Amino acid sequence: MTLNAKPYLNLKTPPEVEMIYLDNAATSYPKPPEVHEFMNMVYRTAGVNPGRSGFDLCRVAGDLVDETRELLTELFGGTDPNRLIFSHNATDALNLTLFGLVEAGDHVVTTQLEHNSVIRPLWTLQEDEGVDVDWIAFDDAGFVAPAAIIERLRPETRAVVMNHASNVLGTVQDVGTVGEACRERGIHLVVDVSQTAGKLPVRMDDLGADIVCFTGHKSLMGPMGTGGMYVREGVEIRMTRAGGTGVRSAERRHLDEYPYRLEFGTHNLIGIAGLSAGVQWVQRTGMDAIHGHEMALWQELRDGLASIDGVTLYGQNTRTEDRIAVLTFNVSGFEAADVGTMLDVDSGIACRTGLHCAPLVHEALGTDTIHGSVRLSLGPFNTQEQIRQTIDAVREIAELGASRSS
Amino acid sequence: MPVLEFDGRTLKLNDEGYLVKPKKWDEDVARELARTAESLDELTPEHWAVIRFIREHFVAHKRAPLIRALCDETQLSLKQIYQLFPSGPAKGACKIAGLPRPDGCV
Repeated sequence: MTLNAKPYLNLKTPPEVEMIYLDNAATSYPKPPEVHEFMNMVYRTAGVNPGRSGFDLCRVAGDLVDETRELLTELFGGTDPNRLIFSHNATDALNLTLFGLVEAGDHVVTTQLEHNSVIRPLWTLQEDEGVDVDWIAFDDAGFVAPAAIIERLRPETRAVVMNHASNVLGTVQDVGTVGEACRERGIHLVVDVSQTAGKLPVRMDDLGADIVCFTGHKSLMGPMGTGGMYVREGVEIRMTRAGGTGVRSAERRHLDEYPYRLEFGTHNLIGIAGLSAGVQWVQRTGMDAIHGHEMALWQELRDGLASIDGVTLYGQNTRTEDRIAVLTFNVSGFEAADVGTMLDVDSGIACRTGLHCAPLVHEALGTDTIHGSVRLSLGPFNTQEQIRQTIDAVREIAELGASRSS
Repeated sequence: MPVLEFDGRTLKLNDEGYLVKPKKWDEDVARELARTAESLDELTPEHWAVIRFIREHFVAHKRAPLIRALCDETQLSLKQIYQLFPSGPAKGACKIAGLPRPDGCV
């Protein structure tokens, strides 16, 4: 994706948001006002159980759920909205997917860039079910070579599971090349698009994906408690829960058809409403414009931090392509958590410190033994002035760190 | 399991040196934790202001205070707190105040 010539969005931050919020990879904040307004309106005027009863307002609420399925199906380049499943979040979708797809005797290939939402299910399958899992390393720049994955594929390989972009390093992986190899061999490709959906195009065919698992509360700008997956037609995920729903209540077993097969209980109507408003805001604003804005700020931030003595950046080379606006670093003389506390209390800057739920990344970087790193992740509401203030704040901490160790 | 032994007392610590049973804390324990964990042989009135505020907040609310509240209450800047407790408010001061290890993605 090429960056815009005029990259900055200049969005107005709501007055109640006083901090410099740089933790958008954890959850985007603030949300566009339209998201709050639509959620409020829907819950006040149509806050009934969607699709379960026969009265008209129930159908209105059900239609909102179905329309959001259609919206997301289109976003992901899917063909059947019934294959768009809503879940609590991406972790929930990944758990449903992995335990419903992989079983004893299978072989799975994944990467060391994954979040615990992939690591823990696969580790559990490996340890408890004897599933054979290959954990592929990434290079110094933070990319997994597709060839390193492809060369591990074998006849009993059931699935490749990988993220579209690392939540620690921000590197966007060449999923399409892996997907092509998987499709040639009839192997399922499961892609965790938590960090890219809403920032970059996520299209089933372009990725060669069989299943994409997404969260609603990051770059899709919806509220927490929303997420799901799109499951390509012909791909079958076993039920690992037993139901039920309010659909065809007489049946003793949970329904086998999609989307009911993988959805359980009353939908998060207010959350889905917010997700719908968020996705529409992203579409109106333009993913190119949002990504261009964030990457222009990322470049300024990366260049500023790289110029500070005592700051170590991880996997942050000069490339702006194949990357999202996530930046990870440490400051000499302090643990990451201390830097985070100082950024917060002294400068009003919110960031994420620690292992970022991706322990294998930190083990590979060697930062696991120093309790991780500091992650700054940008969003559409950030500004150049905020980036300047952040660089100044990190410089001040680095100077303090140098004075402590001298 | 690591222990803190002094004056004939033996208190269990977790792997990161936090008291396993926060109720066993008293100011003698604080002095010993300060000496062994933070290399602080002497606790000044400013150290005690921080420790006592954290402890009182923990007893009342079962959690550590916000760092901003700690700075406001003690009239100390964060930099001063780091000078007093080199490991910082969470790993230094809270540990000496007998609080359990904070949860988080670490």
